[in-house]
Amino acid sequence: MITLTHFLVVSACIFCIGLYAVLAKRNAIMILVGIELMINAAILNFVAFGKYDKLNYGGQVFALFAIVLAAAAVAVGLALILNVYRHFKTINPEHIHELKD
Amino acid sequence: MNVSISNILDQIIASIPLFKPELSLIIGFIVCIFTALFLEKRWKNSTFIACMLTLGVALYHLLAQLSTTGTGFSGMWLIDPWSIYARLVVLASTGIIAIFLQQRHPKNNGDIYAVLLATTLGIHVLSATSNWLMAFIGIEMVSIGSYVMVGYFSRNKAQSEAAMKYVLFGSVCAAVMLYGLSLVYGLTGNLDFTSAAHLKGLIDAPQAIITLGLLFVFAGIGFKLSFVPFHVWSPDVYQGAPTAITAFLSTIPKVGAIILFARLYQSWSSTAFYFSELSSWFIIIVALVTMLVGNLAALRQQDVKRMMAYSSIGHTGLLLMAVFAYQDIFSYLLFYIVAYVLMNLATFIFIDEIEQQTGSTSLSSYAGLGKKMPLLFTAFTLVAVSLIGIPPTIGFVAKLMVFTSTFSIFQSSGGTGSLLLLIVGALTSVISLFFYFKIPLYAFLRGNDNPIPSVVNRKQVSVMLFIAYLLTILVILFGIFPNWLMEMVS
Repeated sequence: MITLTHFLVVSACIFCIGLYAVLAKRNAIMILVGIELMINAAILNFVAFGKYDKLNYGGQVFALFAIVLAAAAVAVGLALILNVYRHFKTINPEHIHELKD
Repeated sequence: MNVSISNILDQIIASIPLFKPELSLIIGFIVCIFTALFLEKRWKNSTFIACMLTLGVALYHLLAQLSTTGTGFSGMWLIDPWSIYARLVVLASTGIIAIFLQQRHPKNNGDIYAVLLATTLGIHVLSATSNWLMAFIGIEMVSIGSYVMVGYFSRNKAQSEAAMKYVLFGSVCAAVMLYGLSLVYGLTGNLDFTSAAHLKGLIDAPQAIITLGLLFVFAGIGFKLSFVPFHVWSPDVYQGAPTAITAFLSTIPKVGAIILFARLYQSWSSTAFYFSELSSWFIIIVALVTMLVGNLAALRQQDVKRMMAYSSIGHTGLLLMAVFAYQDIFSYLLFYIVAYVLMNLATFIFIDEIEQQTGSTSLSSYAGLGKKMPLLFTAFTLVAVSLIGIPPTIGFVAKLMVFTSTFSIFQSSGGTGSLLLLIVGALTSVISLFFYFKIPLYAFLRGNDNPIPSVVNRKQVSVMLFIAYLLTILVILFGIFPNWLMEMVS
């Protein structure tokens, strides 16, 4: 029997993996992948909680919109990373520091 | 409760009149894409004209909504004085930004107007809803549009770097906020943060999860408002982006986000339970740290745009203080928003005008320019005086209102938090004197050792400069007669 707790534990794990990727990876595209994992963890939560919301299906609708918005944000992000690669010939955020105090 | 499809459809059709300004923005967005694709080559500026027409039509429909209230789309869309006046401010300043873009980037600018309109639509959504789904859609629309605008004109390394930092930091904050929202949704089963079911769910929930959920949600709003500790993107992005885009980023998205935050705070701080206490302490601590960090870091900046980034972080702290202080009356918060938008738009137009003539935004390049451009620097100094909050300017009146009402909260309930806010607010206003006055100091009192890099003497009257002088006059006028603005918004 798979209960709500199982879903929550899995999504918490996915969220932590995504957060780790964001903090530890040295490649802008891997950071974007980490962000995707975090968003998908949240979407999993929404769908799992949505089972108990029989009135409006708010969770499921939220999940659909979140998928669309995440895709749009990633598309813009990839375009901007490509632009950075053209100027710097690297996408390691540690090596990109034209702007600083 | 099974509502039939026809009932839902009836309700949607009945709500459409409330949505007219946004509908015209949507139509204008599509029209702008088409004119940028097909007409721009034949008629220059056709997209700009389409954009301005759209803003005009949206303004017309919005003015028709004045002094009406109501809700539409099953309570997802709120029409009340907050949303109407906030959207008025947003539309007017978007018009100024569109002219700014048209003046500064006359070539290859077709799509930027479409993106500008889409971003404006996102801010409208933010300022007219109390539903988490709409709020998240609004935040993401504003964010994605802003990423595109920062990266759109990227010619050099600094601009592309600013765009990448912005998109990575922004997406992480949005993802964290989404996870927080999923927790809040799970605890309450309701997405409207003013509803009774939502508050009841928060009251019953365990403290650990609620702390996590609330802090995660505040992270997403904090990114848009750029309060500490989510402010680290703003100096880099403000410095790296073209000045017209910086003027946009520093003013308009903050209007929507602060209105959303004010609604949220008003609803969440209304009970006597754990989460209300948590959100009021959160807002006090964040306001304190934001004011301190913003103003102290601005002291040692050598680039004007970077300095303005920290200054707007400091003003965000004061805006949070205003949200904390005015829980029932909305007009004071709106007054501060109007003051902030006027001052920041004028400042960035001046910075851009000087950048056009000298090719630099560093403070030391202003040395001795006061004699070359006396009128510009006099107006710039007046706006700086207003940013500090010295009479007779709008900045003074706005700050005075925030302080008096925080003081009355302190007198009535006597919390340590409001006392600390008062002390730190006054202290940081004094600190801000030192960095804002660097501008007239360099311009009028410092001589320039190097010959001034050939000031281009353009004959034609600059439209932007005209608008900036107009904004400066408004800054002084509303400072002397604040009643005019107060009567308008109340």
